[in-house]
Amino acid sequence: MSETENSPNKLDGSKVESPSLEERLRRLEEILSRLEQDDVALEEALELFEEGVSHVRDAERVLAQTELRVQELLGDGDVQDMELD
Amino acid sequence: MDSTAPIPERVWSVSEVNGAIRKLIEGSVDTLWVRGEVGNWKRYPSGHCYFSVKDDQSELRCVMFARDAAALPTDPDDGMEVRVFGNLTLYEKKGAYQMSVRRLESEGAEGLWRIAFEKLRSQLETEGLLDPARKQPLPKHPAVVGIVTSTTGAALRDIISVLSRRAPWVRVLVRGTRVQGEGAANEIAEAINDLVATGEPEVIIVGRGGGSIEDLWAFNEEPVARAISGSTIPIVSAVGHEIDVTISDLIADLRAPTPSAAAEEVVPDGVGIREGLSQMPVELAKGLQGMFQRRRTMIEHVLSRLGLGIDRRIQPVQQMLDHDFGRLQIGLRGILDLRRQRLMGVEGKLDALSPLATMKRGYSVARTGDGQILRSVRDFVKGDRFMLRVSDGEVIAETTELRGENNERNRE
Repeated sequence: MSETENSPNKLDGSKVESPSLEERLRRLEEILSRLEQDDVALEEALELFEEGVSHVRDAERVLAQTELRVQELLGDGDVQDMELD
Repeated sequence: MDSTAPIPERVWSVSEVNGAIRKLIEGSVDTLWVRGEVGNWKRYPSGHCYFSVKDDQSELRCVMFARDAAALPTDPDDGMEVRVFGNLTLYEKKGAYQMSVRRLESEGAEGLWRIAFEKLRSQLETEGLLDPARKQPLPKHPAVVGIVTSTTGAALRDIISVLSRRAPWVRVLVRGTRVQGEGAANEIAEAINDLVATGEPEVIIVGRGGGSIEDLWAFNEEPVARAISGSTIPIVSAVGHEIDVTISDLIADLRAPTPSAAAEEVVPDGVGIREGLSQMPVELAKGLQGMFQRRRTMIEHVLSRLGLGIDRRIQPVQQMLDHDFGRLQIGLRGILDLRRQRLMGVEGKLDALSPLATMKRGYSVARTGDGQILRSVRDFVKGDRFMLRVSDGEVIAETTELRGENNERNRE
């Protein structure tokens, strides 16, 4: 209930943000350094590992895109795909 | 001269005279360059500029109309050595002849441009806007890259080509603008502001390809400088070639020598990232393995201190450990089969471990001086000393009496 009340923006069709490539790669570095610490608990280590693997998988999917998407921001604020010769 | 020539009858009006003189001057003197020192420079709100050029003996009145004066990077200071280009004419209303100046250049190399550049640079410096501490760091892996440049220029094609090669997964948002000519500086500034306002790009490249100092001039103007310094998104400036340094370069978060170089700076090389990522699962597994290794080392340390063969009554602790390792196996199943097999090897050793916790609850182990464990009344000899291992150390004790349970004694 409170979730829908708190996120009225979702109604206008804006998409829920998934972590950016930047965030995923940074998180991966964090996970690696956390795993190296002495006080990491068994359960936490396993969770970190699984989280890390999923970030790798998602990041690889982002990087698999092979064609650059170029858009033009017009004077009136509209955005349209741009054709380049 | 014949002084007897008849005096003409005709009387001219003043306007007629001035008009005639004007035609005479304009018709008989070609456009020319004149060198001299600027004096009494005055720019009116209309944009027209009035001044004179003089040498040590004479002075020439000059006018530079707004349209031509607008091309000046800055007004010349009085006393500056300049050359002016234009034509001679007559200001009929005053009957004064003057030079109509179309171009004005400083006699020194780049003179006026350099002065305008230095004026703005020192102004921005005074405001602290060139402070290196103000520079925003570039994101390492931007998802959206903004570009402010001409949509028809080579710079855009160069940037796009580098981005396609290095990081084809990014999205590019181009805000086209004129990059030279009257009003270009304001257009560039507006384009930067528009892109920033979308909040989408994580980094913006502002620039253009090479050209003359006049061509690049918009990037030395205040509106562009203000837009760049006001941006909350990091900006890379890439104007002209390597040798051209503009105000835009100085105030941007990073200066790239060319548009292509700017593109190289803003995105990482895809090959490198992919390699790094492909190593990542191995790195993660190593991290996990290291964690297990540290645990095992800790356990082995305890084992080596206590020796093997502790009584099997230590069930609760053992069960706890078994439980932990059970969960460990479930978690790892399907992720690391190899690792699981190793862990099962460790499990055997663990059957006999962790007596410390038990000892803390009050159990102790008795041993002889040479380490033999004393399990039964029969192992003790009255009067002998033995060692009692408790949770936090050892106690040296002496056997004063042997009291076996009945069945033990009966067997004796």
